[in-house]
Amino acid sequence: MSVAELKERHTAATATVNSLRERLKQRRQLLLDTDVSGYARSQGRSAISFSPTDLVCCRILQGHTGKIYSLDWTPERNRIVSASQDGRLIVWNALTSQKTHAIKLQCPWVMTCAFAPNGLSVACGGLDSVCSIFNLNSHVERDSIPVSRVLTGHKGYVYSCQYVPDQETRLITSSGDQTCVLWDVTTGQRISVFGGEFPSGHTASVLSVSINNSNSNMFVSGSCDATARLWDTRIASRAVRTYHGHQGDVNTVKFFPDGQRFGTGSDDSTCRLYDMRTGHQLQVYSQQHDADDDEVPIVTSIAFSLSGRLLFAGYSSGDCYVWDTLMAEVVLNLGTLQNSHESRISCLSLSSDGSALCTGSWDKNLKIWAFGGHRRVI
Amino acid sequence: MTWIGLPAPPSQLNSSPVGVFPSLPPSHSGVPSTSPPRSLLVGPGWGGPPFAASHSCLPSSAETEAEVEASGYSFAAVYDGPPLPYSLPRALPIDVECIPFAALAPVTAGPVSLPVVDPLPAPKKPTPILSSASPTSVIGNHAAVAAAPDSDTLGSDGSREILSSETADVSGTVGFSDELGGAHDRLSTESPLSSHASTFRSCASEIEEDDESSDTPDRRATIVTFQESGQSNYSTSPAVGATPVANSEGLRIKKGACYCCLRGNRFTEKESCLACGAKYCGRCVLTAMGMGSMPEGRKCISCIGSPILESNRERLGKSSRLLKRLLSDLEIELLMEAEKNCESNQLRPEDIRVNGKSLNLEEMFLLQSCPCPPPKLKPGYYWYDKLSGYWGKEGHKPNSIITAHLNVGGHLKVNASKGNTGIQINGREITKVEMKMLKLSGVPCAGNPHYWLSADGTYMEEGQKNVKGKIWGKRHMKLLFPLLSLPFPSKNSKCCEEVNNFMKRPLPDNLNKKAIQKLLLIGSDGSGATTVFKQAKLFYGLSFSEKECQDIKIMIQTSIYRDLALLLECREWFEEEILTERRGNMQFDSSGDETDFSLVPQLKSFADWLLKVIASGKFEAIFPASSREYATLVRELWKDSAIQATYKRRSELQLLPAIRSYFLERVIDISRDNYEPSNVDIINADGINCSNGIASTELQLPCTGSSIDDHEQLQTISRYQLIRGPYKGTGENCKWLDMFEDARMVIFCIALTDYDEYYKDTSDAVINKMIESRRLFESIVSHPTFEEKDFLLILSKFDLFEQKLDITPLSSCEWFDNFHPLVSRCPPQRNNTSCSGTREATKAEQAFHYVAKEFKTLFQSITGRKLYVTHANGLDSDSVNATLQYAREIIYWTEEWSLGGGNVESMYSTEPSSTSHSLLTEKNA
Repeated sequence: MSVAELKERHTAATATVNSLRERLKQRRQLLLDTDVSGYARSQGRSAISFSPTDLVCCRILQGHTGKIYSLDWTPERNRIVSASQDGRLIVWNALTSQKTHAIKLQCPWVMTCAFAPNGLSVACGGLDSVCSIFNLNSHVERDSIPVSRVLTGHKGYVYSCQYVPDQETRLITSSGDQTCVLWDVTTGQRISVFGGEFPSGHTASVLSVSINNSNSNMFVSGSCDATARLWDTRIASRAVRTYHGHQGDVNTVKFFPDGQRFGTGSDDSTCRLYDMRTGHQLQVYSQQHDADDDEVPIVTSIAFSLSGRLLFAGYSSGDCYVWDTLMAEVVLNLGTLQNSHESRISCLSLSSDGSALCTGSWDKNLKIWAFGGHRRVI
Repeated sequence: MTWIGLPAPPSQLNSSPVGVFPSLPPSHSGVPSTSPPRSLLVGPGWGGPPFAASHSCLPSSAETEAEVEASGYSFAAVYDGPPLPYSLPRALPIDVECIPFAALAPVTAGPVSLPVVDPLPAPKKPTPILSSASPTSVIGNHAAVAAAPDSDTLGSDGSREILSSETADVSGTVGFSDELGGAHDRLSTESPLSSHASTFRSCASEIEEDDESSDTPDRRATIVTFQESGQSNYSTSPAVGATPVANSEGLRIKKGACYCCLRGNRFTEKESCLACGAKYCGRCVLTAMGMGSMPEGRKCISCIGSPILESNRERLGKSSRLLKRLLSDLEIELLMEAEKNCESNQLRPEDIRVNGKSLNLEEMFLLQSCPCPPPKLKPGYYWYDKLSGYWGKEGHKPNSIITAHLNVGGHLKVNASKGNTGIQINGREITKVEMKMLKLSGVPCAGNPHYWLSADGTYMEEGQKNVKGKIWGKRHMKLLFPLLSLPFPSKNSKCCEEVNNFMKRPLPDNLNKKAIQKLLLIGSDGSGATTVFKQAKLFYGLSFSEKECQDIKIMIQTSIYRDLALLLECREWFEEEILTERRGNMQFDSSGDETDFSLVPQLKSFADWLLKVIASGKFEAIFPASSREYATLVRELWKDSAIQATYKRRSELQLLPAIRSYFLERVIDISRDNYEPSNVDIINADGINCSNGIASTELQLPCTGSSIDDHEQLQTISRYQLIRGPYKGTGENCKWLDMFEDARMVIFCIALTDYDEYYKDTSDAVINKMIESRRLFESIVSHPTFEEKDFLLILSKFDLFEQKLDITPLSSCEWFDNFHPLVSRCPPQRNNTSCSGTREATKAEQAFHYVAKEFKTLFQSITGRKLYVTHANGLDSDSVNATLQYAREIIYWTEEWSLGGGNVESMYSTEPSSTSHSLLTEKNA
């Protein structure tokens, strides 16, 4: 078989795949008779109502001197690690708002950080294309904690990292080299690489990962190619499923608390909810923007409340909407409250017991929000 | 207990039952004069009885009433002044039953409407009627008003009975607010967090308990002076008017009490704010009302960013017992570090005036970091004798001798130390004490001589050359100087050379970040940006670290295998090509399959394996870790005639860039295990690190003499950080660009040779590289992060461009099809350019100018500003250095112009381009 012949076949196959994809899309469209909010409305549900004092800023964590890019809570609820452009990781005690550790980084361009499930070490990654692990108990050398392990192997910046729940030694990173990697932290070796050489991987930088809480073998990734993909850590060769729908880079993905669906946030200013198994898009969460305003705020980070009823979404405009996931309505905007951030909200995360929300912003502050008063945690 | 408890959020305070007690401030402003005498009564100064708060109530009340009467008004006088311009709000009696208190709010209900009474407008002057209003304006107060004078005059049991009704009322209201607060708490306890209440240091309930226990808040004493003690359960919920704002404005804080919770006395351990002196007790210090997370050390939240009190400078970085109790060692360490190093806690240079001139940041740094700095520097006016190193307060005798010859402050004035002796040292009239010192050390003082005194103690008379002697030479002087409280030079002040040469010393932490200017180097793969970076690093004497070298070695070795594989692949093509040719030509020739491109079987198997590995994508996993085993095979392979034959035909191979032959020809050396890349190797290598990560290096670009004179050169700390952004994947949505908001300048690299090169994108479309570079350039220039940044475009690979132009015309790129060079008639004569002063530009230069003009127009149309363009040859260190100098000068110009204002526009349009041209001519000359 000659090269020309092969090429011909390849083009034909590509065309077939594309047409099949198109048919699948149309079929999906046909089957999608309703979305979550439509159904909830037909069932007579109404949105949660919030008063401005229901969610209040109760801590301001100050101390970073650069834009904050990422934060993560420990599972035991009261500690936060944050990464900022001042080249430091700071570990905070969220209750007293004191710093317990400040780690000076080799490369100040840090993009992500994560707390290990046991709360004893933190990981961070950035433009240096490596993921660095710091053991919080290690001896302080020259006013900083020495790096305890460096995970090298990515060929692009490390945009996000997350520990596999309940496994201190497993870590998943996503990178600008279009791959996600599952690492063994103790040996520093790659266990498996998702995407990259394989055709079903992402075709652009992978910006975010989220690991399923109920089945830690499954994780979902969001990418600059405007798709989210579901992966099984036991099968690295191909993505389990690809979720289309966004019109811009998927900046953030987060599993729904029940582990059966996940939410995404994108450059196209929308958040979407996808069903993990069917691949359907369940709901779009988008605000109407003024037609004359061409600067649409991008969604930078999302988090679900413990029940999943609320979706917190941070925007580049400095707004932070609280969506009622059922009704697809904004029930509160943290950006309009007292003590709100002055700049882009770059990251937000809920504490593991769901009692507090921490937001990090380019205004160099972290703020902790909690339900003020008579409301249960929802 | 939830997140809410600890620092009552302002929003909640405003809308919660706080408003029930709106008359608090008026009632205080009504008796403003009571506080000072009361505090006097508590005891004579600091020696008074320690627990005076409650005991002193009675005598103090009696005294204050007397005082009030003496000052001309009493509580219940009928107001007969002029009619008030505003209507007095009357508090109507409220049926307690009607107050909708403490009904359990439905969990999902909306905002609860709480009964809030608007605060009374604060009167401009104290009005007796208002001042008599009890703190509980919700309650009908007529009875209280009537009762008040009774209590004044009688102060007896009888009145207390009447009063009791009021106190009952009062407690009723308070109870109401309490219950609401309680309800609040009760409901919020539904959060799972509540069980952890004990972890919080101060929560609502805790405060309430404390209230009942010992010390009654003093403000009650000022309001209800007739109350004997805190016997009645007159407990105030924390929400009641306890906002610190109200406290600081409305009341005087009891001496020694915490500024936040108003409790405690002067013996309770407290921490005070470095900036305003507010004191907080251990419970409040960490809350949002106190000092919170203390990003700048021990300062109130409201004081963050403001400078500290000078008296507290000593305390900087010294932890207190209280903090040690509250925080862990590690936390304290971080806190103290932040306190010492944060910018707003530093001595502000403009606060220090030396010889009548305020210092700037660099001078300040110089002063503090010299070998012998002035002791305990505080804001103020100083004089400094540069020659001798004398340092003193303006109008006083010298205080110390610091390092001499520092470029600090203005010129020394004659009357700097307000001397009146007529004798001058270094142009300063000295004081009497100094004259005495001179006399004692044997310096002739008759006739008001003028002396020059140098730092080593030698002195000479003004206008004369010969050294007259040494002031500090004699042994007994060492004892004498302290007697006259005059400074004596310390030992280390003598080594004052090289003082101003502070480039060599590391900067202190807090100054480190400020002085550095970031230059961001961007360019796609193959644009030469990385080469420029490496060249710059080597040029300024910075070598690559062990790790970096290792990285580069691995990279070179890996790429050599890739190149070999490429050659092998080509070899197969060539072999096949020849074989098919042969088959076509002589069908029946049995000369076999031997061609020039055939390999011996042993090498063939290695070659096949290598190709297979690369095809399978596992290449990275195997190489270069195992390169040692294959070193010999590689050597044989390279020596093999088939490979050599292929290598000779490398010009036919599009895939093999010319630069690769540099390494391929040395493949035997490189594949060795003990290979160490030389600097030339490093520069020729592709990339900086194998992970496509960011690389940065610090440069200290020396100033070129032309634009800046030497004096300034000493004072400007010109430190630059050259940052090479990630070079692969620059094309797609640059998520990382917004990290470089603080870059001073963006240096964008484009290879000139791109104009006739093409690549295939994912959809197999052939794209001109120059067009692609233009697209990238557009996207980066228009990126919001770089809106106000200066851009310098480096058109690199000028040497290759020169060669290439002879083969392919520039107009082969669609963007440049307008290019018609003028030098068509006579070909450029390179050799005799020097003889004619105004030589014509070479073809390459013309082409370069054309490309530069195109980019400038493009830049102008996008941003409306000016683009700086230069060209460079990455392999030539001088040209890279010239480029960096150019970048430095651009920064210098733009700074000068932004300072000078004025004719910025005209300067902009002429200067840079002319320099870019002069740079160019200089290079080609």
